[in-house]
This record gives sequence, C-alpha cells and structure tokens, in this order.
Amino acid sequence: MKLNRIRRNPHSETIIALIDVVFFLLVFFMLIGRMDATAPFDVTPPLAVSGRDMPAGGATLSISRDGALALDGTEIAGSDLEAALSRALDRDANLRLRINAHKDAELRHVLPLVGMAEAIGIADVVLVVTPAAGPDAG
Amino acid sequence: MAGYPTLRRPRAQGQLISLVPMIDVMLILLVFFMVTSTYLDLDMIPAVRQRDATSGASDATAGTVLIRLASDGVPVVRGVAQTDGALAAFLAAELAETPLTQVLILPSGAATTQSLISVMDTATRAGATRLRVIRLEARP
Repeated sequence: MKLNRIRRNPHSETIIALIDVVFFLLVFFMLIGRMDATAPFDVTPPLAVSGRDMPAGGATLSISRDGALALDGTEIAGSDLEAALSRALDRDANLRLRINAHKDAELRHVLPLVGMAEAIGIADVVLVVTPAAGPDAG
Repeated sequence: MAGYPTLRRPRAQGQLISLVPMIDVMLILLVFFMVTSTYLDLDMIPAVRQRDATSGASDATAGTVLIRLASDGVPVVRGVAQTDGALAAFLAAELAETPLTQVLILPSGAATTQSLISVMDTATRAGATRLRVIRLEARP
C-alpha cells in the first residue's frame, strides 16, 4: 500500500502581519534608543526640579564621584582635557559641552572645568541633571 | 460565427524571494536595539551661555544676595545657615521687593554637586532670573 505524504501548504498562515509588527517594533526601538557613549565609571546625575529638556549633540564630559574624567565615553586625564576640548571646538565652533557630574562629586572637581571650558571659548556649557518631581507635584 | 475571445487572468506567480532571511535579520536587529537601548531621562541646566558675557555689568538699581554654600552643603546667607524652606522664603521676599535681584552662589569646593544644584533649584523656584555661581580662584 502506498502512503502519500500530505502536501503541506507552504503559506497556510500569512506572515505579513508578523513582519509588520516586528518592523514597527524595530523602528520604535531605533527611534527611542540613545546611542550616547557611556562613561567607563558610575555617574548618577544630581536631581533637579528646574532643569530643561536636554538637546542632543555635543560633547559629554563625565565626572565620577572621585573626580575621574571621561570625554565622550573615553577616560581622559585632566591635563589632556583642555587640548581635547580645543580640538573639538576647532571641529565645531558651536560645540555644546554637557557636563555629566556625579551627584556626590565635589565641586572642586567640577567648577574649574566649567571655567576652563569657558576660557577656551566654549559658549554653551550645560550641567546634566535628572528631572525630579517638585514638592508641589501631585 | 466566432465566439467571444476568452480572457484568462494570468496566474499569479509564486513567491520569488523568500521572506525568511529578512525576518531573521529584522528579529536580530530588533533584539539588538531592545538590549542596547537606554532609557535615561535627563535634563540640563545651562552653566555658560554666550549672552552671559554681555550681561556682566550689574544693574545698579538691583540688589545682590550672596549665598555661601558650606562644605556640608548647607546654604548660608548673611552668616546664618538656612534650611531649604527658609532660603526659599528669604529669596521670595527679596525678589518680591526687587525682582532683578542678582543671586550669587559661592560654593565651597568640598560641597557636592547635588547641594549646588539644590540651591540653584531653590533660587529658580523662588523666581530668581539673575543667578550666578562664583568661585574663588587661587592666584600665585
């Protein structure tokens, strides 16, 4: 007796819907994901109520709790920072410097860097903060 | 007598390109972006602005309030340590009397970034529009 294998319909279930869903998810994660370089050490920005939305772009200077520095995710010595920022400023005259300091970093590690950035001509320096709900927030 | 010509619908061709590799690639990309995405909600506070250079001259009619930030993060005004609430009330009273009062913050180098941001927050919420952070610089 000859047994015939049942022919399977190769497209019994449409996969177009699956592709649509996966594609939407892919675009969603591509759009909301941030591709910023992260610092090689732990940085927890301070909480602030009066912060504004942070625009994208610019260079990010991270400062750890003990004053270690990282420029755009790469650790850098304090003595090399001014030259690195000057080179970045040469490439982009409207450079925005984002200072992402740990909330427990002492200001002697932070404020001189703001002054140095201003001295070499960076006109847009911002401090990165984590938004906090105000005391009158519901 | 000839009949009407018969029009035949062309048979739809089968799938020429397999979709399976595309789905594989999309799934891999999807997992990649799901894993590598970070969801940091960050704000910023301007520290240096171009226009600050032109606003250096102080308005003679406006007063100035100096807040010293001690090394333990406590704000001190006119020699008196302030709580957050007391500082907010003091600044609100000053700004109600003189809206263009300049608020200067002189932080200790040992104070934390969070304490400075908190004082700046308090001043901003009290209505200060002219806020500056100053620091003492050692000169040889």
